[in-house]
Amino acid sequence: MTHRFDAGIDRGTAFTITVDDAAVRAFPGESVAAALLGDGRRAFRRTARTGAPRSLYCGMGVCWDCLVTIDGRSGLRACMTEAQPGMRVLTGRTGLEPEAGR
Amino acid sequence: MTSIPSRADAVIVGAGIAGLCTALPLAKAGRTVVVLDRGAAWGDASGANAGTLSLQVKRPEVLHVTRRAIELWQAMRAELGADVGFAKPGGLRVATSEKELGMLRGSMAVQASLGLETEWLEGNRLRDAAPWLGPSVRAATWCDWDALSSPLLAGRALLAAARRRGVTVQDQAEVTAIAALDRGYRVTTAAGTVDCAQLVIAAGAWTGKVAALLGVDLPVDADVNMLSVTEPAPPLLDKVVTHMGGVLSLKQYPNGTVMIGGGWQGRGSHQSMRRETDHLNLLHNMRVACAIVPALKDLRLVRSWAGFEGVASDALPLLGALPGRPGAFVNACARGGYSQGPALGEQMAELMLTGRTSLDVARFDPARFAAAGAHA
Amino acid sequence: MMRVDLAVVGAGPAGLAAAAEAVTHGMTVALIDDNARPGGQYFRHVPPSFRRTAATAFDKDRARAEALFAITRHPQVTYLPEATVWDVPEPLTLAVAAGPRSGQVEAGAIVVAAGAHDRPVPFPGWTLPGVVSAGGVQNLIKGFRLVPGTRAAVAGNGPLLFLIGASLLRAGVAVAAVVEAAPIDRRLPAALPQLLAAPEILQQALDYRWALLRAGVPVLTGWAPVNAEGEDAVRAVQAAPIAEDGSVDRARARSFDCDLLVVGFGLVPSVELLRLAGAGLRFDRRRGGWLPERDEALETTRRNIFAAGDGTGIGGVELALIEGRRAAVEAAVQLSRIAPFAADEIRAGLRRRWKRLDRFRRGIEALFAPPKDFLALQTPQTVLCRCEEVTRQEIEERRAEGFRGAVQLKSTTRMGMGRCQGRNCMATLAALVAADSGASESAVALPKARAPARPIPIGDLLHETIPPPDLPADPHLPRKRRT
Ligand SMILES: Cc1cc2nc3c(=O)[nH]c(=O)nc-3n(C[C@H](O)[C@H](O)[C@H](O)COP(=O)(O)OP(=O)(O)OC[C@H]3O[C@@H](n4cnc5c(N)ncnc54)[C@H](O)[C@@H]3O)c2cc1C
Ligand SMILES: Cc1cc2nc3c(=O)[nH]c(=O)nc-3n(C[C@H](O)[C@H](O)[C@H](O)COP(=O)(O)OP(=O)(O)OC[C@H]3O[C@@H](n4cnc5c(N)ncnc54)[C@H](O)[C@@H]3O)c2cc1C
Ligand code: FES
Repeated sequence: MTHRFDAGIDRGTAFTITVDDAAVRAFPGESVAAALLGDGRRAFRRTARTGAPRSLYCGMGVCWDCLVTIDGRSGLRACMTEAQPGMRVLTGRTGLEPEAGR
Repeated sequence: MTSIPSRADAVIVGAGIAGLCTALPLAKAGRTVVVLDRGAAWGDASGANAGTLSLQVKRPEVLHVTRRAIELWQAMRAELGADVGFAKPGGLRVATSEKELGMLRGSMAVQASLGLETEWLEGNRLRDAAPWLGPSVRAATWCDWDALSSPLLAGRALLAAARRRGVTVQDQAEVTAIAALDRGYRVTTAAGTVDCAQLVIAAGAWTGKVAALLGVDLPVDADVNMLSVTEPAPPLLDKVVTHMGGVLSLKQYPNGTVMIGGGWQGRGSHQSMRRETDHLNLLHNMRVACAIVPALKDLRLVRSWAGFEGVASDALPLLGALPGRPGAFVNACARGGYSQGPALGEQMAELMLTGRTSLDVARFDPARFAAAGAHA
Repeated sequence: MMRVDLAVVGAGPAGLAAAAEAVTHGMTVALIDDNARPGGQYFRHVPPSFRRTAATAFDKDRARAEALFAITRHPQVTYLPEATVWDVPEPLTLAVAAGPRSGQVEAGAIVVAAGAHDRPVPFPGWTLPGVVSAGGVQNLIKGFRLVPGTRAAVAGNGPLLFLIGASLLRAGVAVAAVVEAAPIDRRLPAALPQLLAAPEILQQALDYRWALLRAGVPVLTGWAPVNAEGEDAVRAVQAAPIAEDGSVDRARARSFDCDLLVVGFGLVPSVELLRLAGAGLRFDRRRGGWLPERDEALETTRRNIFAAGDGTGIGGVELALIEGRRAAVEAAVQLSRIAPFAADEIRAGLRRRWKRLDRFRRGIEALFAPPKDFLALQTPQTVLCRCEEVTRQEIEERRAEGFRGAVQLKSTTRMGMGRCQGRNCMATLAALVAADSGASESAVALPKARAPARPIPIGDLLHETIPPPDLPADPHLPRKRRT
C-alpha cells in the first residue's frame, strides 16, 4: 500500500480524476503518477509484447515506463503530467495496442 | 572470427540487399560465394532505409522489375523461413497542388500503358478510403501492389539464410585492390585475399570507387536521405503513403511506430562518410507529413537518421557486365533499391549463371556509361 | 529565433548557478529545462499548492533553493520551463521544443548542465511495479510526500542508498534491508583521508547510516539484488553476495519481504546533447561512464560550449553549483564580459572549494567502486531493454547467429530502439559486448548520436517560421543538399 505522509504540509482540497471508470482522488499539484500511486495502484499499464505490468520506474521522465492514456492521448508519462480535475486516465495496454498489428 | 576462403566461384563486394540477393540464388545453384563488406553487413543503405515497397512511385523504366521484386518479397518468408515484416496494405500516392494533380494524371496514364492499373481517388471516395488524410490532399492514386517490409527483420533473415546456404559473409573486409588474373580476379581486403572467377560490385553508394579499382569510371553519386520514426501509437494510418512530388513516404508498422521519409537531404557525403540530419530539412519533412496526415502532430519523434543512397547520373540501376572486364559485374544504384533488390539480385544471378536474364534489363547495362568512361 | 549571450541547458543546481553568475557580468541568458519547475533533481520540493504547516527535515535546503530560483525571474533571464532542447543544428544554436514557443536559441556561448539519471541494471523482476529507481523514490518523497509502499528494501550501489534508507524511515516506512554491492565497510579506512576533505558531507552520510542502525535495519555490504519476486507487483527481493569480479553466490541468497524495492546503481550523465554537438567524450566507469572531455575552464572540445554538474561526471549538488558558476565565468571571459583579473579572483575562490569537493568525490568513488560488471545478476529470461522487452536470451540467440557488435545486436533485437532512446539499456549492451569480445566498455562502438536528444511531439516542429524548401524538380535525379 502506498503511503502519503503529511510531514509539515497540508495538501489542500482534493479533486477527482477518472481512472478506467473509477474515481481517484488527487491533490492540486500532484502528478498523475502520484495520484495513481496514492490511490494504491501498482501497475499503470501492460506492455505491448508480453502484457507485463509496468509502473513508475525512474520518476523523472527518462524511462518512459509510466505511460498512460490521458483524455484520449496515448503514450503520456504519468510522472511528468500534472493531474487536473476531471482528467480521464486509461491504464492498460498503452503505447501499442496489439490490435494495431496489421 | 572466420577467415575468408582463398578461392570462391563468386566474390560479391557489398553485403546490402543487392549483394545478398545476388548471393542467395548463386549459392542455391551450387556456386561457392564470398560476400565482403567494409563495415558490418547490412550496415549501410539497406539497414537504414524506410522499408517502403511502393510500385506506383517507381519510374516507368523499372516498373517490371519492381513488380517482380514485390512478388519475391511476398514469397520471402516461405523462401527464407523467417519473417521479413512483409505486408501489402496497398498505397496512396497523393497530390496537393494543381501541378501535382497534372503530374499524377500523367503518371497514371503511363503506368496504365505499361499494364499497371491504379485507381484515381478524390472527394468522398478518397476520404472514405483514408479518413486520416488532411484537407491539403486533393487526390490520390490507389495501387494495391504497394507494400512494406521491415529492413531490420529482412537483414537478419537474409544474412541467416545466406550463411545457412554456405555463403561466407565477411564483415570488416574493405576491398582495397582488385587484380585481373588469367581467368577471374584476385580481391584484396582488410581481412585477407580471395581469388574468384566472377566478381560482382554491389557496393551501393561506393560502387564508383570500387569500379575504379578495376580502372572503370562509373558516374555514381549519393544522396544523403533522412528518415524519422515515431513512438509506437494506436492505429493511425493503414496504407502506404507516397507523394507525387517525391517529398513524403509514410507508413505505420505493426508495432505502432510510424516511419516518415521522403528523400529529404541530410548533410555530409559518401566520400567523407559523414552523414547527419539537416535540421531545416527535418522540419520540412515533418511539416509535409503533418499536412498529409494531421494526426501525426500528436505523436512523438523518437529518432531520425541519415543514410547514403547511391544513384547513377541517369538515376537508373546499374545492372550487368562491366565492359572490358570479363567476369566482372555490377548490381547497384537502383533508385528505391530496397524495393527492387530481390528482382535485381535474381536477374544478376541469372546473367552470371546463364548469360541471359528472364526480364529485360538492357537499359540498366553499365555499358551505357562505358563508352565515355572506361579507360581500358 | 531568440539571441542571447548565454544559453543554459538545465535548471538544476549547475544551470541555476550558471545563470546567476552570468547575469552579474551583464549577460543575457536563456535558461531551458524540460521540467515545469526549476531545481533539477536536487532542489525538488512540494508544489506551491501544498501549504506548509511546519518546517521539517524534508525541507532541508529550501531557503537555498528559493534564493537560486530567483534567477528565473531576473530581467536578463528568459526562463523556458517545459522546454526540451532536442538538437544542435549549428555549433552555437539550440533547437527547443516547447509547444507553440518552440524554435531556436542562438547564443554566444552554451553551458550544458543536463544532469544525470539512474543507472539501469537489469536483474530478474526489475521491471515489476514496485521496483522503483532511487531517484524516483527520492522525487516522490521530496516532491509529493509520498512513498509507493509501506515496507521497503533498498538495493544497488552508491551513496544515495543510505540517504534513501534514512528518508524512508523518516517518512514512516519500514525498511527491510539496505543492500550495497560494494564492500564499503572493508574499504572505509583506506578512503577516510579523502572523505575527510568534506567533513560536513561525511557527517551527513554517517548520520544516515546511524539512523538505519538505530532502526535495526540490516545493512548488507558486498551484496546485490538477484531477484525481485512477484506477479503483478513486487512482493520480496532476494539478495546474494557479489564479488569484485561480478560473480554472485546465489546459494547464500537471503530473502526480504517488501512491497517497494528501491534500486539505485549510481547515476549516468546525460551526454546526448554534447554528443549531438560533436563534443569529445571519454570513459570513466566510476564517475558514470561516458563523460565530456573538458579543459580546466570546463570548456568541451567544442569552442564556447561548456559543461557543468552531474552531466559531466557524478559529483553531487555542491560540485554542480561550483561548476555552474565557473562555466559562466569562463563564458563571460570568452565573450569579453569580465576583466581578466576579476575572473582570476572568482576562479581562485571556486578552485579551492572545487579541489576539496573533488577530493571528497574521489574518496566516495573509491569506497563505492562497483564490481567489474553486474551481468551475473541476469538470467536468460531477464528483460534487458524495458521498452522493447528484449531478454538476455534473445541477445544470446542473435550472437549465435553471428551478430556480435552493439550496432548489430541493436538492429537485430530492437534493443535500444524504444522511447527511452537507449537510456535504459545501451550501457548494458555495451557491457555485454565488452564481456563477449574481451575489450573494454570504452572500446565498444555505440550507435551514433541522433536528434532528437529526447522524444518530442512532432506538433512542436510546426510553429517556427522557416525558409521554403528547395524541392527537386525530378525526384528521381540526385538531390541538392547543404554539406
Ligand atoms: C534513409 C534511406 C531511406 C530509403 N528508403 C527506401 C525505401 O523506403 N524503399 C526503397 O526501396 N529504397 C529505399 N532507399 C534506398 C535503398 O535503401 C537502397 O537503394 C538499397 O538499400 C541499396 O542497397 P545496396 O545493397 O545497393 O547498398 P548498401 O545497402 O549501401 O550496401 C552496400 C554495401 O557495400 C559496402 N561497401 C562499400 N564499399 C566497399 C568496399 N570497398 N569493400 C567492401 N564493401 C564495401 C558497404 O559497406 C555497404 O554495406 C532508402 C535509402 C536511404 C538511405
Ligand atoms: C532522480 C534523481 C534524484 C536525486 N536525488 C538526490 C537527493 O535527494 N539528494 C542528493 O544529494 N542528490 C540527489 N541526486 C543527485 C543530485 O540531484 C545531483 O547531484 C544534482 O542535482 C546535480 O545537479 P545538476 O544541475 O548537475 O543536474 P540536475 O539537477 O539533474 O539538473 C539537470 C536538469 O537539466 C534538465 N535537462 C537535461 N537535458 C535536457 C534537455 N535536453 N532539454 C531540457 N532540459 C534538460 C533536466 O531535466 C534537469 O532538470 C539525485 C539525482 C537524480 C537523478
Ligand atoms: S517513471 Fe520514468 S518516465 Fe515516468
